[in-house]
Amino acid sequence: MRPGFARPRLVSGIAIGLLIAILFLLPVLYAVMIAFETPRHFLLSPMTPGHPVLGNFRQAWDGADLGLELVNTVIYSVSAAFVAVLLGLLIAFPIARRLIRGTSPLYALLLVGLFLPFSVIPLFAEARDMGLYNDRIGYIILHVEPGMPLAVLLLVAFISAIPMELDEAAWMEGAGYLDYLRRVVIPLTRPALLIAFLYAMLGVWNDIIGPVALLADSSLFPVTRGIFNFWGSNSSAWTHLGAAIVIVSLPVVVLFAASQRQLIRARFTGSVKG
Amino acid sequence: MWLGLALGVAVYALFGLAPAAVQALISFTNYTALPWASTNFVGWANYTAMFTTQRPGFVQGVTATIVFVLAVTIGQNLIALLLAHRLQGEGRWAAAGRVVVFMPIALGATIVGLIWILIFDPEGGPANSFFSNFGIHSSFFGSSTWAMPLVILVQIWQNAGFSTLVFISGLRAIDPQIYEAADIDGIGSWQRLRRITWPLLAPSVTVNLLLALVGSFTLYNTIYVLTEGLFGTQTLGMLAFNAAFNSESANIGYGAAVTTTLFVATLVVAIPAMLLLRWRERRLLGVNR
Repeated sequence: MRPGFARPRLVSGIAIGLLIAILFLLPVLYAVMIAFETPRHFLLSPMTPGHPVLGNFRQAWDGADLGLELVNTVIYSVSAAFVAVLLGLLIAFPIARRLIRGTSPLYALLLVGLFLPFSVIPLFAEARDMGLYNDRIGYIILHVEPGMPLAVLLLVAFISAIPMELDEAAWMEGAGYLDYLRRVVIPLTRPALLIAFLYAMLGVWNDIIGPVALLADSSLFPVTRGIFNFWGSNSSAWTHLGAAIVIVSLPVVVLFAASQRQLIRARFTGSVKG
Repeated sequence: MWLGLALGVAVYALFGLAPAAVQALISFTNYTALPWASTNFVGWANYTAMFTTQRPGFVQGVTATIVFVLAVTIGQNLIALLLAHRLQGEGRWAAAGRVVVFMPIALGATIVGLIWILIFDPEGGPANSFFSNFGIHSSFFGSSTWAMPLVILVQIWQNAGFSTLVFISGLRAIDPQIYEAADIDGIGSWQRLRRITWPLLAPSVTVNLLLALVGSFTLYNTIYVLTEGLFGTQTLGMLAFNAAFNSESANIGYGAAVTTTLFVATLVVAIPAMLLLRWRERRLLGVNR
């Protein structure tokens, strides 16, 4: 490297590191900090950490059913995203290979789905009539559709890049359709699958109207509804809220941190293929 | 194969298209969901009420949406591009950086919203203490000057990680051999960025711009948690939600009209955008893709 290049690069590297730290880390660290403060300390000096106490965690844990709600959220978002991506794949392959008539209109119809509003009222009526209202499985089924269009969009592009010869070779060897998808298509479309999965999962995770409109029993609530209710009934108890946030977020962030390295590595080996 | 396709399309039609169609139908009624009120077809009344000033919020909503969508789409992608470029590596710091940047995604809209409400709490929040050093006092999310920029900031903060992930996977999909060939040809780093990385990143740019566009267009959950759409932050997505559920004159028929209008508006903006991005992709990647 020429020395003239090295310096500004280093400086901008540090600047971006700081930007990341300040913008992304500080707000979260702040919430963690106050989770360990007494409410009194928080009121008197909100900017400094106090002598750490654990009382907030007890309050938060007793004040809301966070554990169960967290489990619910994970079940809902992971299963719905999994089914969405799977169905997306089953739709995308025939479209990408033009195995059926009317491929283009079908594809266009599916892409429109990216912009479809989440129609709560009709969905509620549908859920009630089909026995999907206030039901774990039902809630998952109702949340599959929003994740599908992006899965189809990304997968069609990725599958189109897989050479047709691979299909033919597999056909010759007598591999079944699902077998072929599992062994060849899924490994080669991994980045698309992962992004579509994440997007679908976040949709369920971030839904705030679904839990209100489609669920009635508090034992079925996801954590978004639980924590919002908790805030509503303890609205100035910031230290308790901080603790609740830590309880809910810690497992998810740890899981994410552990898996993202895997994801990145998997992607790297997955794409080396021609 | 047929079974799989049919199943997928059936789910899509049943839970995606059908409810949206019913929603559009509802927009021509005065449905309120109140058991004692009767429901009648009212023709275009909900739409005329919306476009004229008979029902407030629409004109202001259009302005708010344009500001919000532009700022979020551009801001989020610029930041994500920068972050992806820095955090794509194998090193420990890059991995740590990725975790930090992705963290807001894992937290979810509600928790992200609550954290920022806490930070900008006008009484005890740290932002208030910080800004009061400079003589700035504000109610932040409760102020017409601050609310919109802050809502934009939070939305970008929450979603930049997802865009970064898409960009990183795009950067990693570029065949290292191309860079090696470029090194042999002695191409400088700026040329490398402009002639190799940027064009080959085109598919990721398409996906990210499209998702940020649609996401910010239809957003209501983050805004709802932060401001409920008050203080100038009532975008059309928020208005659709508020009109149906969160106002004294809650009227589902009217809410459906706003939602349907929003859907049409999204299509009108997003489809040309998509075609343009696709065209750009094809131009940058050459004709064979």
